Parts: sequence; structure tokens; C-alpha cells
Amino acid sequence: MHSSRLLRVLATTVTAVVTLGGLAACGDSGGVGGDKNADQATVTDGQPVTLKYWTWFPPEVTLRDTIAAFERDHPAIKIDLRIFEAADYQKQLPLALNGGEELDVVGVQVSAMTNSIREQVRPVSEWESNLPAGWRDKLAAGPVRQTEKVAKDGKLYSIPMGSLGSAVMLYNASMLSELGIAVPKSADELAAAAAKVRAAKPDVTPMVFSGEPYWQEEMLFTIAGQSNPTLSDDVFAGRKPWNSPEMVAALGQYKSLFDKGIVGTDVLSLKGNRPAELFTGGKAAFYVDGSWQSSMLSQASRTASKIELTDVGAAAFPVVVAGGKPAARSYAEGGLAIPKKSKHVTQAATFVEYMTMGKGVDTWGKDLVLVPTAKSYSADSSVLASQAARDGYAAITTLINSAGSARDSNQGFLNQVEGNAILDVLRGQSTPQAAADKLQSEWTSGRYTAK
Amino acid sequence: MTSTTSRNAPVAAASGTRPARAGQSRRTRHRGRALGTALLFLTPLLLIYAVYYLYAFGFLAATSTTRTTLSFSEATDVGWENFHLVLTDAVFIRSVANNLLFAAVSIAVALTLGFFLAVVLASGVRLRRFFYAVFLLPSLIPLSLFATVFGRMLETRDGAVNATLRTVGLGALSQDWLGESGPAYAALFVLLVYLVGLPIMYYTSDLSTANTAVLESALLDGANTGQMYRLILFPLLRNTHKTVILSVLLGSFRAFDMVFFSTKGDPGGRTGITGTYVYNAMLGEGRVGYASAAAVVVLVIALAVSAIHLVIQRKGQ
Repeated sequence: MHSSRLLRVLATTVTAVVTLGGLAACGDSGGVGGDKNADQATVTDGQPVTLKYWTWFPPEVTLRDTIAAFERDHPAIKIDLRIFEAADYQKQLPLALNGGEELDVVGVQVSAMTNSIREQVRPVSEWESNLPAGWRDKLAAGPVRQTEKVAKDGKLYSIPMGSLGSAVMLYNASMLSELGIAVPKSADELAAAAAKVRAAKPDVTPMVFSGEPYWQEEMLFTIAGQSNPTLSDDVFAGRKPWNSPEMVAALGQYKSLFDKGIVGTDVLSLKGNRPAELFTGGKAAFYVDGSWQSSMLSQASRTASKIELTDVGAAAFPVVVAGGKPAARSYAEGGLAIPKKSKHVTQAATFVEYMTMGKGVDTWGKDLVLVPTAKSYSADSSVLASQAARDGYAAITTLINSAGSARDSNQGFLNQVEGNAILDVLRGQSTPQAAADKLQSEWTSGRYTAK
Repeated sequence: MTSTTSRNAPVAAASGTRPARAGQSRRTRHRGRALGTALLFLTPLLLIYAVYYLYAFGFLAATSTTRTTLSFSEATDVGWENFHLVLTDAVFIRSVANNLLFAAVSIAVALTLGFFLAVVLASGVRLRRFFYAVFLLPSLIPLSLFATVFGRMLETRDGAVNATLRTVGLGALSQDWLGESGPAYAALFVLLVYLVGLPIMYYTSDLSTANTAVLESALLDGANTGQMYRLILFPLLRNTHKTVILSVLLGSFRAFDMVFFSTKGDPGGRTGITGTYVYNAMLGEGRVGYASAAAVVVLVIALAVSAIHLVIQRKGQ
């Protein structure tokens, strides 16, 4: 009797939970199964609303400052911010949008995410009437065009906050000054600088960068771009094979940094944020990474991050082959899009405008993480206090604006094949030709969907 | 006599069946109640299993024959193509081989070092609790944290392993741990040795219920320590060995964090396992179907390994 009563209670509870769940699923929450038309639910301008904003960028402190300023200027709009780690965000946002999550503004990694979320967000043409007339003229044309081109249907789904470029070289300006080293512009000058650093400071690694597979592509195409600016674009578009003579030469040029003793293979064991830790801790003279590390040029940013380096500069990666020109690949980044489920399109557009072409750019731009798309932006001289910092920011901006190839990748191919094949060449475990042949063979295997 | 017996037989039989039927009925009712109670406790677990495992398995199987993105909205049916591509990928084959290699090493460590340490600790050595804590700690803290610290220790220039070797005058033994296959495998094997705590726990719990009379008899018969270990204790814990082997074997298919946070598959992806393969396969556009096919193949291999183990175990019994 007792157990049958228990069973009845259990059955009743399960039935109640299932019924409530079913009712909730059929409700107007906008979740999967809901039938309410979000387009018709847009709240009238002026009514207080809270916008749900998901992103991975820029850093939280900067975002909070920018949002606080926005909310002061727009008292009727509140921002409910959720920040993710970059790699997680690539998976979480498409799943959430596909699952019916009601978001109002979402950050989009332009190259990596546009096509995985474009069916769940509104094309900009649907809400551009909420932007100021001639809004495109306020933005640099290149990043907007890249954002449009990356979508399979050629439509613009997000407005990019700025652009990123890589690889660029940060340097410990105080250390170079102390050792009497000029900023190297060629591989030979870099080799001489590395030798000087080693002799004067045996506990300092002359140059550090990430040994992770993904980073090897950035290094390879930066060096390749110095003598063949469009090689990356050509290879990814299938116009040139991975085992073309230019690619084989590029692999050899990258390897030459190790052969000349500029970099040791010990650097390839550095993973995660270890290269940055070594540089900011004064244990490395040069640090090669992307333009997203430009915030290190700012004394205020260094102080906030508890980095004790006195002065930091930046420059293009030294030219490896005689006759080459400084190069970096760049791409639009930090796209802001409005999901189809948003019921606050007008307010969301106001926020997107503020962040991409309005006053918000001056606030987040100080971080120097992106080179803003807004034409009106110029770096505050108070942010770039030293000559090395000013020259560095100018060099990075020039590199990004004159980039020959787009900073584009096939993530699956990069992490499973490409990065490891390059590492094998650098460690002397494979020849450039053998690695290039392997890359071409895998690229055409059908395992890696061409973009 | 015969006729009386035969005449009375039905009566006797009838009078004898009444209490038997009553007993059977009581047993049936009791069994029914027990089943109800069992179902009551099992239902939540079965529901969770159905939602999180069966649904996930079904979803993976359905997705594995498509080419699709994480939005799942533009899925293209590609039939068995994903499976063909996975099974002809040398990186995948090596990942499976690595899984089996790491499982073999883990089993060898568990059945030798784990068994030996468990018996030594159970014999009442001093500071026994301290040693239990030392051996169990790596198995109790999150493996990702442990592997991350270990990975950093392997850095060529500033890593603790090479720094220690240089400090004690063994600098010649310092290695580019993540740059050569041999040292990278050796590093992962060391990591596997650190995880010997769980087998020690299994052995310790069974040792506490072992029949001490057998050990006393062996002692009286003049068995030395080696013979006690080899001829008495090792066979005595036969069932524990089976539990340890199965748990370690299947655990090796979930060793993603151990590899991902220590060697990250270095050098050149050669120490990668099926977990890291599936993770990398998920990256990139339109790769969800391919990653699902890889996951299904891994699942089938894991089930096959378990089935083989069970068959061998039953034959042994």
C-alpha cells in the first residue's frame, strides 16, 4: 500500500511537471515552439526597455564603462550584458539563437561566426532605417565590405566595431633602449638584436610567440605576405595549391628564423598566455602576437593590468626576405548584430550605432584592442604617452589598413592539420616540400569543408 | 496400500498445494512491491539517462550522416561519407591507437604499482593516512587543473622538470618534452602514473574484506613476502582486478582533459586521443556532422572494448 501510494505521488508529480513544461513550451516566451511574431512585438521608442547583449569582446571593464556612458545618455535603455570566453562563444551563441534565446544585440566574430548565425539575425538592411542617414560614410569601407563578403549570401548581417591584424611585433622599449638596440626591420637586424639580448641578459628570451598550432598560420602568412601579399587569399580561395612553390618558399622562410638562431624551438613549447606572461614580466624582449595586444602600448592599461614594463613599442614583423615589405593579414572584427527574436529593434539599433559610430567608440577605443571602423576616431594622445607607443600604434594602423590578405582561416583544417604540419617543419621533423604536399593532400580530402 | 495412497494422493496433494500457492502468492506480492520500490528509485535515473544519453546518442547518430553547422538549419545529407572520411584519416587512427596505448599503460600501472601500494598501505605502515592522501589527491582534484600545471612544468626553457634536472646536475637529461614524440609520450605516461590513486582505493576497499585466515595459513606454511604477493594476494583480488581494468580502460576514452591541458597533442598532434580529435573536428564551419561521425565511431569502439572485456570475464568465471 505504502509503495503504491508513493508510486501514485510520483506519477502525479511527473504528470504535473510534464504538463507545466508543455504549457511553458507553448507559451509566448519566444522559445522553440512559441509562435509569437517577434517582428510585430517591437516596443515603441521611449518606453523603458532592457536589452539583452551577449558578446565576447571588448574586455569587461571597458564594456561596463561604455555601457554606463550609454545608459547615462539613454536613460530609457538598460543593457543586460553577458560576456563569454572567445572560443566558447563561437559555439554557445549559434546554439542559443537556434534554441530560441531572446537576445537583442549580439557580438559576432565576423570571420568565424557570420555564417553560423546569419539565419538567426536580421540583415542590417532591415533595421538601417534606425541608423543616421548616410551611416556607411561614417565607417571605413574595407571592414564593412569584408563583413558583407564573408556571408554566403553576400548580405551585411552585422556592423563591425573595428579591425584586427596579425602578426605584429611588440617590444620592450626600455630594454632595447638600455641595450642600445634599434627596432629591427629585417631578419638580419633581428638576429643581431637577439644576439645582443642573449649576451647582455642570459635569463631573457629574445623573442617569444605562441607555440600552439593555430598561431603558426599567422606567422607563416605574415612572412609569406612580405613578398607575396595575396598568397593567403589565393590559397584559401583555391587559386593556388598549398604545395605551390610560393607556399614551399614561405615554409622555408619561416623555418629560417630558427636556422639563424633568432628563435629557438624551446619557444614552441610556450602555450596559452605564457608568451604574454614572459614579455610582461620582462623575460622577453620581443613578443609577436596580434594587434589585439596593442593595449600594452598604453601606460594606463599596463597599470590597470599590473604590468610593470616602463615603455612598450610595436612594429611590423621584420622582413625576412630581401626586397619584401612589412605585412600583416587583417580582418573586420567585433560585428554587432540584432537577432530576429529581438523585440526591441529600435533601441538595439540605437545601441549598435553608439558602439560602432557613436560616442561609445571613444570609450572602448582607448583600449586599443581594435582599430575602430569609425572614421571619426583618433587615438587619444594621453593613452599613447611615449614615442614608442605612438609609433607602434601608427605602424599597426598602417599595417591593418594596407593589408594584402584577409585574416581568414579554416579552423578545422588549421587545428587538425595545418598548424601541426608547420610545427613539424620548424622542428626539423618534415621538409617544407613534404609538409606542403601533405597540406594539399588533406585540403582536397573532403574532410575540411571549403568556405 | 497402493490403492489407499493413490486414493488419498489427490487429497494430500490438494491439501499440500494450498499453503504452497498461498506462499507463492505472498512471494509474488512481495516481489511486485520490491519491483515497485526499485522502479521508484530507478525512475529518476532512467529519465536522466534517457534524456542525457539516449537522446544524445540518437542525435549524434542522426547528425553523423549530414553536413551541417551549429545552427543545424542547412543540413545536407551525405550518407556514409563522414564515416568513410573519419575511418580513412590517419590522425583518427592514431588517436584510437593512442587511446588503447594509454589504457594499456594505465592498466599495467594499476595492476602493478597500484596493487603493490594498496597492499603496503593496508599492511599498516606508519603515516598510512598521509600516504593515502598523497596518492589519492591527484585523482580527486580536477584533472584539467592538474594537467595544466603539468603542461607548464614541461616547458623547455623555464619548465620545472628541466629546471630541476639542471639544478641536480642532470642537465644532459633535460628534453624538449613537447617537441619530440618519445619524451611527450613519456610525460603522458608519468601523468598516468600519478592517477594511480583510484586503483589503490579499489584494492584497499577489497583488501579490508579479504579472508585473513588464508594469509595466516600461507604464513604458517612458510610463504615469503614475494610469494604472499604473487601467489596469495594477487589471485585473491581477482575480482578487483577486473573492476580496475574495466574502469581504467573506459576512463582512457574520457582522458580528454589530461591530454588537452598537458601536451595538447604535441608534437604535431602525435599524442592526441579520440577526445581531442573530436574536439578539433568540431571547430570550423560545417563540421558538426563530421565530428558526430567521429564521436559515433569512438562510441562503437568503446562499446566493443567493453563487450570484449565482459566476454573474457564471463569465460574466466
